[in-house]
Amino acid sequence: MTVSPLGRDIDRVDGRAKATGTARYSADYPAANLAHAYLVTSTIARGTISAMDTTAAQNAPGVIRVYSPFNKLGLRPVPGAGENYAPLEDTQIRFRGQIIAMVVAERLEQARDAARLVHTTYDEQTPRLSLADEPRVPATGPPGVPAPSATVLAPGVPSIEAALAASDVVVEASFHQPMQHPAAMELHSVLAEWNSDQTQLILYSGAQLPHTSAMVAAGRLGVAPTAVRLIAPYVGGGFGSRVFPWYDAALAAAAARQLNRPVKLVLSREQVFTVVGHRSAVNQTIKLGASRDGVLNAVSHVSDAAVPFVGYRWMQPAVDVSAVLYKTPNVAFDQRHVMLDVPPACAMRAPNEAPGAFALETAMDELAVATGLDPVELRLRNYATTVPGTDRRWSSKHLDDCYRIGAQRFGWSARRARPGSRVDGQWLVGMGMASAIYPGGRRPEPIQARVQLRDDGTALVSSATADTGTGATTLLAITGAHGLGIPLRRVRSEAGDTALPQGAPSVGSTAAASTVPAVEAAVEGAVAALIQEAVSNPLSPWHGANSEELTYEKGQLRGRGQSMPFGRLLTTIDRRNVEATATAQPGPEAGEYKFHSFGAHFCEVRVNRYTGEPRITRFTTVVDAGRIVNAQAARSQLVGGVIFGIGHALLEDDPLELDTGRVAAGNMADYMVPVNADIPAIDVHFLDRPDPVINSLGARGLGELGTVGSAAAVGNAIFNATGKRIRSLPITLDKLL
Amino acid sequence: MRAYTFTQPRGVREALADAGTDTAFLAGGTTLVDLMKLDVVTPARVVDINRLPLRGITLDRDGLHIGALERMSDVAADRNVRRDYPMIAQALELSASAQLRNMASIGGNLLQRTRCGYFRDVTTPCNKREPGSGCSALTGINRTHAILGTSDACVATHPSDLAVALVALGTDVHLVSGQGTRTVPLDTFYTLPGSTPHLENVLRPGELIAGITVPRSMWAANSVYLKIRDRQSYEFALTSAAVAVEWRGRTIRQARIAAGGVGTKPWRLPAVESALAGQPATADVFEAAVSAAADGARPLSHNGFKPALLRRTLVRALTVLAESR
Ligand SMILES: Cc1cc2nc3c(=O)[nH]c(=O)nc-3n(C[C@H](O)[C@H](O)[C@H](O)COP(=O)(O)OP(=O)(O)OC[C@H]3O[C@@H](n4cnc5c(N)ncnc54)[C@H](O)[C@@H]3O)c2cc1C
Ligand code: SF4
Repeated sequence: MTVSPLGRDIDRVDGRAKATGTARYSADYPAANLAHAYLVTSTIARGTISAMDTTAAQNAPGVIRVYSPFNKLGLRPVPGAGENYAPLEDTQIRFRGQIIAMVVAERLEQARDAARLVHTTYDEQTPRLSLADEPRVPATGPPGVPAPSATVLAPGVPSIEAALAASDVVVEASFHQPMQHPAAMELHSVLAEWNSDQTQLILYSGAQLPHTSAMVAAGRLGVAPTAVRLIAPYVGGGFGSRVFPWYDAALAAAAARQLNRPVKLVLSREQVFTVVGHRSAVNQTIKLGASRDGVLNAVSHVSDAAVPFVGYRWMQPAVDVSAVLYKTPNVAFDQRHVMLDVPPACAMRAPNEAPGAFALETAMDELAVATGLDPVELRLRNYATTVPGTDRRWSSKHLDDCYRIGAQRFGWSARRARPGSRVDGQWLVGMGMASAIYPGGRRPEPIQARVQLRDDGTALVSSATADTGTGATTLLAITGAHGLGIPLRRVRSEAGDTALPQGAPSVGSTAAASTVPAVEAAVEGAVAALIQEAVSNPLSPWHGANSEELTYEKGQLRGRGQSMPFGRLLTTIDRRNVEATATAQPGPEAGEYKFHSFGAHFCEVRVNRYTGEPRITRFTTVVDAGRIVNAQAARSQLVGGVIFGIGHALLEDDPLELDTGRVAAGNMADYMVPVNADIPAIDVHFLDRPDPVINSLGARGLGELGTVGSAAAVGNAIFNATGKRIRSLPITLDKLL
Repeated sequence: MRAYTFTQPRGVREALADAGTDTAFLAGGTTLVDLMKLDVVTPARVVDINRLPLRGITLDRDGLHIGALERMSDVAADRNVRRDYPMIAQALELSASAQLRNMASIGGNLLQRTRCGYFRDVTTPCNKREPGSGCSALTGINRTHAILGTSDACVATHPSDLAVALVALGTDVHLVSGQGTRTVPLDTFYTLPGSTPHLENVLRPGELIAGITVPRSMWAANSVYLKIRDRQSYEFALTSAAVAVEWRGRTIRQARIAAGGVGTKPWRLPAVESALAGQPATADVFEAAVSAAADGARPLSHNGFKPALLRRTLVRALTVLAESR
């Protein structure tokens, strides 16, 4: 009997290729007559290029061409997609580390050496760099995104200030989070190759949204979207850094077009820190008003986020967390922006929710202290069953059980409320917790998948979603095997190629929940096509039968007293395969319900009594994300998300130099991410309760959830250990001395 | 990386003949190749010294002799080192990563360059890289920089962990050049930045480190290397302490102490040593002895915590050592 792989611990289908090094990432693709490009970036933050001497570079060994604002490539920005300017098209400098020239040479080393010979002089202007001092402007969100500022008040309450003033207990706290980087392992790279008459372009370049990336690159190049195919079955991490393509793809493609040969461009690690986006720095202030027994009366959340003048990403932590997490009669969230001459920002993993939850969930811990309540109990007292200020319900919500089960698994009852009261040798020991919430719904647009049944008895599931290491390719195979009722080993799957049907983007934790219905529909379609063949093909034993007489189950067609596996049928009728492409899109339920995934984090930390370094010793996360499709991949997502949060809590910081606009930790030596030694075994538990609304499997998204709230759990544990409340990230040892 | 000539001599004399101005010796390459890729170091000639016979980890009456080309991992694993000089093994194992330690040599370790981010970024002024261009760290981001031995020209730390342990133990460095051989105490091998931060030691152009000798002592076997950093592994020290104690019962007969992460060179702390000599190993004694450890420190805008952290690092190291008796 075939056991469905659904919900089990399934090794990723491409695991072997990745572990043995045979997986091909973008920069690994070969091409005949390949030329190599290397970028030159600006060394000032604002001004114009007054002159650029490229003679030495142009004359250096192996150099084919030097592109610059004085030898342009003719790119144009695509409104709403990525930055609002195209590099090399003008002499304006918008941030330090901006692309100002590109050297193309026969070999990588030659291009890199020549790039150092480009000599640039500037007319400098004073850059605007201070989040604290530059003017605040009201936030404007992208179309379709909820208003970033709003106030909901109970009847008769004149203002949020009045609601706060009328509360027994008020907690007010301000938070700072510095610039953070996705720091994906694979360097951003592209190989651009045109066909001989330059009508078709292939881009090998990692993308979270393959079709969108191809379209944006086409727009920048001024060619039809259909002229560009993007191939990236393997992507070495996205975390928001591959939502839109940066200009690497268009630059390489434009040079390849001019030079009439393929061009490869790989950013250096340092360049990734400025050419590729980051999560903006943000300052937030939270005010909570509550009754003496901890019931919230007012939540006010103001956030000032840095927004690069070059555009792209609006951060709105306040609305995305404080508007949904707790029940409160009065809530006000206000998002303001501070425009700065800094590198582009991107929607880094849990873009708004990670900073927002750090602030709100730390403030809630402060409220627990102020009211003398246990932090778990405080959250249960303020549990929201409808979206605050509305009567809209969630499709499914079991956050209360996450708190309870998490507390039990973790041993929360052993926590001592008084800070600094547990000492173990040199170490102060503390426990903290926090909530996680992240949208877990489906993409609004139609998502496609194709299922092909083959005469060798296997099936192929195809969809141009992206596998950024999430396990999306494996999910395709699992869903296909489950739907077809055949063993997983008889299903192959493919993703990351725009020649395939347009799949779910790997963004916003939506890919799995959106892909599943499309694959299911394609399974249905393929089975229908199989039955159609069975009744219409003269070689078929069922020729002439009525299609209603046939049923498909577990790889077999049955009817009229006989049965046959689909592979044998296809062989018998001399067909290589049958297939169907199907589209799935959310129905009216999408408007009726709110879709979120939920979780509760519990953390134990040790802080050295002498030297202050915080070290995490235990971490438990309990997750409500509906039905789990691949337990192993889901756990990896959560573990990775929590590690992200630990990094934000303790390590990650790229200080911006306020006089030069230089990011001071723009490389992997200075930008600290956690190493294995910083991470204990992380206990992840899934409630695994199917969501009755979202899709037939009941599976919601969970890719970003672990990143939300985990930093607050760490900070709250540090407070419990030391009595020190650190509201400025990262919480490094110097702040705990 | 610019074009350069590359030779792989088999003998020391040959290697010295290959070397001239603009030459870099290549050992493990974990510092050199990095800096060449970043365009920070641009030698015209690279002499690969890995075939030279500068090897051996031996213990005799004079002490521990280590050839310059011995790998960090091999020295850390050596039985004699672990038994008689535990802080050397600890300093090595708390350095870099396993992969790097397999490549990196002892000579190269002592000559590794500072991790100051401006030194490694050729788009910024840096007196050490380009004399006279200015010191970006003075007004820039300087949380990890030095507080002791600094000058207005440079505030970069010496990054080696091993060197801190070796300086505490009174190690000698053996040098060889066309002029012959000489031996220099490691402590004075390193120089302060003063107005010439590009000069970091007394090594002459074309001169090789042949090896080191760590003397025998009554304290090396009772020693600890404690390294404090934000990340638990794979990071340079914010502060570190190399502490060795000769005990008489519960009393400290004498101590040898040096600190890392705080000085422009491995920083010996003779005042702390003498404050401990003859004292009982109690918390009060430790606190009093380290109170002057950071005297003369010049904290910068982002590293004002370092004097306190240094004192606490020392107390913690002394406590660990006392408790392990
Ligand atoms: C990511 C990373 C993390 C690190 N972390 C740490 C750490 O935590 N603690 C720590 O102490 N170190 C750390 N290091 C530094 C590492 O220990 C040194 O790079 C290494 O010890 C250098 O040895 P090598 O043999 O590779 O030297 P090379 O790179 O080959 O040489 C370094 C320099 O010494 C010269 N040289 C080498 N051998 C001789 C010789 N015998 N005579 C004369 N000149 C010579 C070279 O010309 C060059 O100038 C780290 C390095 C990296 C890359
Ligand atoms: S501290 Fe020294 S190495 Fe760093 S920028 Fe200043 S001069 Fe250069």
